[in-house]
Amino acid sequence: MLEDLDRIGPVLILMVSAGGILLVDLALHERDRRWLPFGALAGLAAAAIWTVVLILRGREAVVFSGTYSLDSFSIFFNFLFLGVAGLVVLASADHVRRLRYQGEFWTLLLLATTGMMLLAGARDLILIFVALELTSISQYVLAGFLKDDRSSEAGLKYIILGAIASAVILYGMAFLFGISGTTKLVAPEGQASIFALIAQGESGTRAALFAAMVMLGAGFSFKVALVPFQMWVPDVYEAAATPVAAFLSVGSKAAGFAVLLRIFYEGFGPDSFIGSDWSNLFAAFAVVSMTVGNVMALLQTNIKRMLGYSSIAQAGNIAIGVAAIAASGGGVSLGASGVTFFLATYVFTNLGAFFAVIVISQRLGSDAIAGYAGMGRRAPLLAAALAICLVSLTGIPPTAGFVAKLYIFNAAVQSDLVWLVIVGVLNTAVSAYYYLRIVSHMYVSPAPDEGDIVPSPWLAAALLTTSVGVVAIGLVPFPLIKAAERAASALG
Amino acid sequence: MLEEFGRAGFLLLFALAFPLAPILISVLLGALKIRPKHPNPVKSSTYECGVETVGDAWGQFNVRYYIIALLFVLFSVEAVFLYPWAVAFRQLGLFALIEAVLFVFILFVGYVYAWRRQALEWL
Repeated sequence: MLEDLDRIGPVLILMVSAGGILLVDLALHERDRRWLPFGALAGLAAAAIWTVVLILRGREAVVFSGTYSLDSFSIFFNFLFLGVAGLVVLASADHVRRLRYQGEFWTLLLLATTGMMLLAGARDLILIFVALELTSISQYVLAGFLKDDRSSEAGLKYIILGAIASAVILYGMAFLFGISGTTKLVAPEGQASIFALIAQGESGTRAALFAAMVMLGAGFSFKVALVPFQMWVPDVYEAAATPVAAFLSVGSKAAGFAVLLRIFYEGFGPDSFIGSDWSNLFAAFAVVSMTVGNVMALLQTNIKRMLGYSSIAQAGNIAIGVAAIAASGGGVSLGASGVTFFLATYVFTNLGAFFAVIVISQRLGSDAIAGYAGMGRRAPLLAAALAICLVSLTGIPPTAGFVAKLYIFNAAVQSDLVWLVIVGVLNTAVSAYYYLRIVSHMYVSPAPDEGDIVPSPWLAAALLTTSVGVVAIGLVPFPLIKAAERAASALG
Repeated sequence: MLEEFGRAGFLLLFALAFPLAPILISVLLGALKIRPKHPNPVKSSTYECGVETVGDAWGQFNVRYYIIALLFVLFSVEAVFLYPWAVAFRQLGLFALIEAVLFVFILFVGYVYAWRRQALEWL
């Protein structure tokens, strides 16, 4: 037991640094608080280094009697979440300096990341639920952190709807436990897992299993913002501080899909007798999410709301990959690696778009899309960074978004889901209208007033990382694709 | 498996019937004029642990009570968790001792935080 502790070392480091920042903040003077982001970055870097050491020493194993799995999948997501948190720390350093409670912000950010890292490695329903609540509760508070009327309203909406989603997840888990008598998704040596017990179960279990599957699917669809569980997204993104919205948009989505892959792909299995059921469930989610997200995004005049609806549509794209896993009928599927790869590219793309919005909105004092007119002349580099991300969100080469979409559509075609790909391509055409409208607005429309917009060094570093990442993955996608395929192979 | 859920269903039915039955019996006896009905102000006043009622339940409370209540719940739950550990202390040994110390330490961090943020001051 104790000798396995180093395998969750990255998680423990983040927890300790979160607590440390909270305590140090109490003793600091107001002007010394600007050093706190360095503390958060140091904690994230230490966790990343520890993860590298774990890889080098080949410590991959399932530990704590099958509860937590350190495998290529959880390692991939460890790096992904640490990267997301690091970029968000860079992007929120300026924002947090104006807040009254600074230590709390960094603590909550690190704790949310801790929960996400646990989620990606969890193989037990109880750990999944605890990690999910650690992430969610931190995010509820972060969403309401500004404490003005709108931010508080968004936080309250998020916590009430989120609590209902958690209750639905818990109910689904209770069904699974009721059928199988165990909380383990995958059996350690000589013990029973949920799936093994289900496979040999009596005929009466199918209905209960189906109910559990629908409840888990619905609950996690809330976390990843799939229609019809998307109501909170535009409101929360619009009213929360923009760096927090950026963190929510990629962090909770990646964590949600990671745990969906764990439960449905690793736990239920693609070739079990309910495989086609959950494939159809996610195909349906994908169609309505893409369509509703894109059509609603067309109507938005506020860029944060537009990015909110766009993230719903992107969640629909990722759900295509989940549907493709089981539709292959037990054959080797690109679906799981497609989801993993898409999430990695989505992190760079969406964070980049939000970071550019942070800089521009700070200067303009509003989030109206109309204010982006002439941005190509006022701030050429900033406009270029935003344009790259929007082009990548549309899925046009040579950006990361194109490769990701190609990969996930390819996975669907190989699993005989051609109709789903046709819906996806039609939706891409719709999405091109609202993404590229902003690009043309920035470069074609005249600027209402001149004056340069210069990002702070923190934000410039964050923007540079995301823009370079988006283009680099678009030009040389193979290393990341290989990593994603290795990660997904740990599940299947 | 389903039979066991059936037993839980019986319990649910019983739990529903238990509070409903006295109410129904009381209404029935009242309708049959067996139960006398002589209300007076003292009799029909709200029973509140023997204490005279003050105002109604919709009165406003000072919002500061919630932090005190939160801290109280936190530390009472801590005590509840420590009790079974203390009972089985000899069997559990060193590992459980370290875990209990860690548990208390984490809550202690919360206590220091609440203290320094003036959550305990009554302004």
